[in-house]
Amino acid sequence: MQNMNTEEQNGYMLLFRSNEWYEELSHDEIQKVINQNTAWIEGLIAEGKAKPGHALHRDGATVSGKDGRIVSDGPFPEAKEVIGGFLLLNVETIAEAIAIAQRSPTLAYGTSIEVRPVAEECPLDVRARELARQEQFASA
Amino acid sequence: MSTQNPNQNGYMLLFRGTDLRKGLSSEELQKVTDNWMAWFRRLTEEGKAVAGNPLEREGKIVSGKDRVVADGPFAESKEAIGGYFLLDVATMEEAVAIATDCPGLPYGIRVEVRPVAGECPIAADIRKEAQFAQV
Repeated sequence: MQNMNTEEQNGYMLLFRSNEWYEELSHDEIQKVINQNTAWIEGLIAEGKAKPGHALHRDGATVSGKDGRIVSDGPFPEAKEVIGGFLLLNVETIAEAIAIAQRSPTLAYGTSIEVRPVAEECPLDVRARELARQEQFASA
Repeated sequence: MSTQNPNQNGYMLLFRGTDLRKGLSSEELQKVTDNWMAWFRRLTEEGKAVAGNPLEREGKIVSGKDRVVADGPFAESKEAIGGYFLLDVATMEEAVAIATDCPGLPYGIRVEVRPVAGECPIAADIRKEAQFAQV
C-alpha cells in the first residue's frame, strides 16, 4: 500500500464529488450506470492503471476547532460537494489522469471529479523549508 | 447509521483546509508537519492507519456531460482537501477519537471522518429496494 514514505511514482487521486444524481433515475437506469461504472473501474484495475478504490458512506462526522474539538455529524452542507468515493491511479501524467476521469460514466449525470497529484512530500514541509530560507535571508 | 455499528471496511479521514501555513513561522510550520508525520507513523505502527498521503495543492476538476476540465481546487482554501488517511478501526468512535489528535486542528484544519463502504452505497440501496418490491 502506498504511504507517505514511498519513493515510487506517486500517481494521482480521483475524488468523486457526488450529488444525488441517482434520485432522478429509474431503478433500471441506476443499475445500468452502476454496471458501467463497475466495468470502467475493473477495466482500469485490469490494465494496471488503478488500484481498487473505495466508495464512502454518506454519513460521517467532521472534527474541528482549537480546543473544544467540535464534532458535528455528517458531511455536509452542500450535497453536491460530498465526496462519494475515490480511486488511486498509477499513471505518470496529469493529462493521462484527466483522460481517465473524462471517461467516468457518472459525469453525464452531473457529478464532478477532482484530479489531484499525490505528493511525494507534504507540501507543508516544503513550505516550512522555503520559509526558513526566507527568514535566514531576511536576518542576514 | 454506522456510528454504533462496527464497520469492517474501516474509515477515511479527509483533511480539509490548505491555508494553515498563513501566518505561521517556518519553525511553527515545521513543528506541525513533524507532529503530523509522527502521528501517522504511530498510527501505522499500531496497525490503525493502513494508508495515507498528502496531495499536491494544484489539480483539475472534470465535470458534467461535456466533460469540461477546469483548474481547481483553489490553491489555499478552507474546503480543499490536503490529504487523507485510511484507518483500519472498527467503529466511528475510534475513528473520531483518532481525528481529534490531528495536529492541524489548532490551525483551522477540519477532519472529515467517513465510513468506507464495502460496496457502492447506491448499488446497495437499489438492491434493497428491489428485494422490498418483490415481497
